[in-house]
Amino acid sequence: MPLVEIRNLTKEFSKGDEKIRPLNDVDLTIEEKDFLSLMGASGTGKSTLMNLLTGIDRPTSGQIVVNGTDITKLSRGRLADWRAANIGYIFQTHNLIPVLTAYENVELPLLLLPMSSAERRKRVEIALEAVDLSDRADHYPRQLSGGQEQRVGIARAIVANPTIVVGDEPTGNLDTRTAEQILELVERLNVELGMTLFVVTHDPKVASVAARRLHLDDGRLIEMVDGHPAFTHDAVQRSA
Amino acid sequence: MFRFTPYVLKSLWRHRARTVLTVSGAAVALFVFCVIGAVQGGLESLTRQSQADQTLVVFQENRFCPASSRLPEDYARTITKIPGVKDVVPIKVLTNNCRASLDVVVFNGLPPEKLRVARDLNLLSGNWTEFENRTDAALAGQAVAHRRNLKVGQKFTMGEVTVTIVGLFTSSVTAEENFLYTHLDFLQRAPGRNTVGAVTQFEVLLADNANPDATAGAIDAKFRSGPVATTTRTKGVFQRETLSDLAELVGFAHWLGYACVGLVLSLVATTTVMAVQDRIKEHGVLQTLGVRPTRVFRLVLAESLLQSLAGGFLGIGLGLLLLGWWGFSIGTEGVTITFQPSLGLAVSGAVVSAVVGVLAGLAPGYQAARTQIVAALRQA
Ligand SMILES: Nc1ncnc2c1ncn2[C@@H]1O[C@H](COP(=O)(O)OP(=O)(O)OP(=O)(O)O)[C@@H](O)[C@H]1O
Ligand SMILES: [Mg+2]
Repeated sequence: MPLVEIRNLTKEFSKGDEKIRPLNDVDLTIEEKDFLSLMGASGTGKSTLMNLLTGIDRPTSGQIVVNGTDITKLSRGRLADWRAANIGYIFQTHNLIPVLTAYENVELPLLLLPMSSAERRKRVEIALEAVDLSDRADHYPRQLSGGQEQRVGIARAIVANPTIVVGDEPTGNLDTRTAEQILELVERLNVELGMTLFVVTHDPKVASVAARRLHLDDGRLIEMVDGHPAFTHDAVQRSA
Repeated sequence: MFRFTPYVLKSLWRHRARTVLTVSGAAVALFVFCVIGAVQGGLESLTRQSQADQTLVVFQENRFCPASSRLPEDYARTITKIPGVKDVVPIKVLTNNCRASLDVVVFNGLPPEKLRVARDLNLLSGNWTEFENRTDAALAGQAVAHRRNLKVGQKFTMGEVTVTIVGLFTSSVTAEENFLYTHLDFLQRAPGRNTVGAVTQFEVLLADNANPDATAGAIDAKFRSGPVATTTRTKGVFQRETLSDLAELVGFAHWLGYACVGLVLSLVATTTVMAVQDRIKEHGVLQTLGVRPTRVFRLVLAESLLQSLAGGFLGIGLGLLLLGWWGFSIGTEGVTITFQPSLGLAVSGAVVSAVVGVLAGLAPGYQAARTQIVAALRQA
């Protein structure tokens, strides 16, 4: 059984009388330890797909089955619990809680899981170690650089050992050098820690490190192989 | 449950200026609430005393201030003969102020041998023999002693009357603690007041089976034709009527108490609404991380509750401390209400704070819980 199975996913927005459909009958399968990147022109619906996959938005129709659970059928509360256990979200802007220290920010997702404080401490330390910020544990977000903040954000995303880690342009707000460091870190998550990753990006360099490269265009999801569209479910349908 | 306590506290601390202002606003309002409650408590306890209904007060007809009521002292002999009357205590009342005032000093002159029977006083210091033997002796209630800093052995002057304090007392009736008790004939002979043979009022102690109203009617009937007509009421009614203006004021203050509660409510609610609007994105992030909407609701509620409770405890604590320390009382026409801080008042203040804190957090909490995550995350 695949880790994630997206079937016939459609999302429609209405702006006044006009209807737009950034996702039109999209299918996608993600296996464990996959590293996917998603590119596409601005406004094509990349963030929309991420929001649906993480359950912070609801599709117009279709199914998203993760580990056997169709998350489109869960209530808001259940969905929150599900996210706490299964999703690590790396934001474009770190979105750290300003009143909490780096340590407390990373600990936050663990507070939602049944876990002893000793276990929490151990996990937070490992996560901070992984992003090389053990020495900044007691710093507040405003005392950290942009790259450090983003690294704390990554530690927060991986600390609960989620089923899948998603990132919506995780390097979008960083300068080239810092972006490269973050990219390296993200790559390590997949290669060394064996995490399943799904990253939206505008940066071809980011996309190139991912084993599977996806393109969103006109509501369709296309998988690229060697820079060319491969036969995806969509492509088959379109050519038919 | 309490895992998010640091987050809540730190969020409040982040906007400490706002938090401190809100908490002090709530504190002031609860302080006022407390003071109003204490006056009310004092008024209630005064008119509720059990003794008040088996004791009659005989006053000169149509007179209200003790200074203007003058009854012949020998009325006592006539009253004693009326059926149902157990004892009659002539009292001369001297007060520095007949109008409503926060610092009334009231002298009650009684025949010294009657004081112990007519009043339930508990001597803290000094002794009865000295009071009985010394003509200018006075026993001071704890409250007035505290307010005026009176000590045993000290002289105390009001107008032309100078007494020597020979004892301090407490009483089961807190209003009593605002009085100074002296000898009747000493007050009658006070310089500038030739009132020998005249008293302000009589207190009539009734037999257990006597009907207060019938006896009161009988007394007034006896003196209707003079030389001085009387109005006789039970002590409870007498005090209620004497204090009626003040009681009306206290009753009105009651509404001010409610207004204070409303004030805290709107203050805390405003702060909480602001705190939620400041943090729409943060609540979106929390929910993205997996915080349930119901928990977001509770977090907001906790913030508003904490502010309201902190303010409440501060205000109540300060109120009780001040009232307890100064022993405030308010009096008119020789009858006083003691501000009565009590545990019950503290508890009701705390309950009010808690309820207000919860109410103030409901709407903003609901708003925060209903945050549309995607829209919230899009906020700058
Ligand atoms: N709540 C909404 N109401 C109406 N239209 C919306 C809403 N959210 C998104 N859209 C529209 O859906 C389309 C896809 O938006 P989305 O944010 O997914 O694009 P994106 O691919 O992430 O773009 P970018 O690369 O600029 O981040 C856009 O045309 C956007 O205007
Ligand atoms: Mg986007």
